[in-house]
Amino acid sequence: ALVLMFPPLPRFRCLLQRCWQRLEGGLLPGFSGGQSLPWGPALGVQASAFLPQPVHDTNESNEAPSLLDSILWMAAPKKRRTIEVNRCRRRNPNKLIKVKTNIDVCPECGNLKQKHVLCGYCYAKVKAETRLIREEIHKQEGGPFNAPTVETVVLYDGEKPTEKDAGKRIIERARKRPSWFAQS
Amino acid sequence: MRLSVPVAISHGRVYRRLGLGPRSRIDLLRNLVTALVRHERIEAPWARADEMRGYAEKLIEYAKLGDTNERAMRMADFWLTEKDLIHKLFKVLAPRFQPHPGSYTRLLQIPNRDGLDRAKMAVIELKGNPFPPLIRQRRDSEKTLLNQLLKGYREDLKQAAAP
Repeated sequence: ALVLMFPPLPRFRCLLQRCWQRLEGGLLPGFSGGQSLPWGPALGVQASAFLPQPVHDTNESNEAPSLLDSILWMAAPKKRRTIEVNRCRRRNPNKLIKVKTNIDVCPECGNLKQKHVLCGYCYAKVKAETRLIREEIHKQEGGPFNAPTVETVVLYDGEKPTEKDAGKRIIERARKRPSWFAQS
Repeated sequence: MRLSVPVAISHGRVYRRLGLGPRSRIDLLRNLVTALVRHERIEAPWARADEMRGYAEKLIEYAKLGDTNERAMRMADFWLTEKDLIHKLFKVLAPRFQPHPGSYTRLLQIPNRDGLDRAKMAVIELKGNPFPPLIRQRRDSEKTLLNQLLKGYREDLKQAAAP
């Protein structure tokens, strides 16, 4: 808080009171430092200024504060934005949500998918089956850090290892082979 | 050369900044590489999977040099934190990818993660893994005109070669 050393003249006292109220209300944020009185008007004080207090106060409160408070401008809109201007701003193409043209139908399941992304349904299907295969692998391996040094092949119900699966580790899955997982 | 805007702004920098710093980034990617070699198909945020892909392919190229090679063994020892995977790398993955000249991994984008962050996720897998395929190749049916003509041509060649 600023402490001014001047004996406050009547005109300055009202100004001081008002500025202090605004400071407390946080309306004069730009003012910091400056011990001297920068708000002293450049005009000379006339004799008529030294009227008794109450009349002076009413005069002060009646006149527009523009001269004294013009030190600090705050930006404020000058006119109301018309609905036409508002519509132009709100409906500008950069504010509208863009339409995606990269959505397609998955040929396998018929769900929608983005062109450069895998189909969610098909991927969930494959993920579930992979999880079950991995559980079988864990059961066969027993513990952690037992990665085998041979390839792995997955066989379903009623399938026999071919000559290609000669030296590989066999993982049995107790179900029919799904149509989307062809035997290599 | 005409470059796209982010490529031009980066001024030739190709490595992403992940994790808490350079050491943390390498540790993150090392964990992902170990997981990929162990499970052969993993889901991860797309940026991390993309960064990791280069390191994984370089590791497989080193493994192709054979496990007697000192540099290859040191690389495998650094990059694979679980030491039983070093055996898997040299005995399973190196022979599997011996005929391939490059590109041993496949990176595909999946729908965004279900949690709060909706992160861009990808699945990265080693080719030739035993799991069901992620994309099914759609081959044209036998009955299309082009395929019938090609079939006829093949049979003509066989008949010309046979007698």
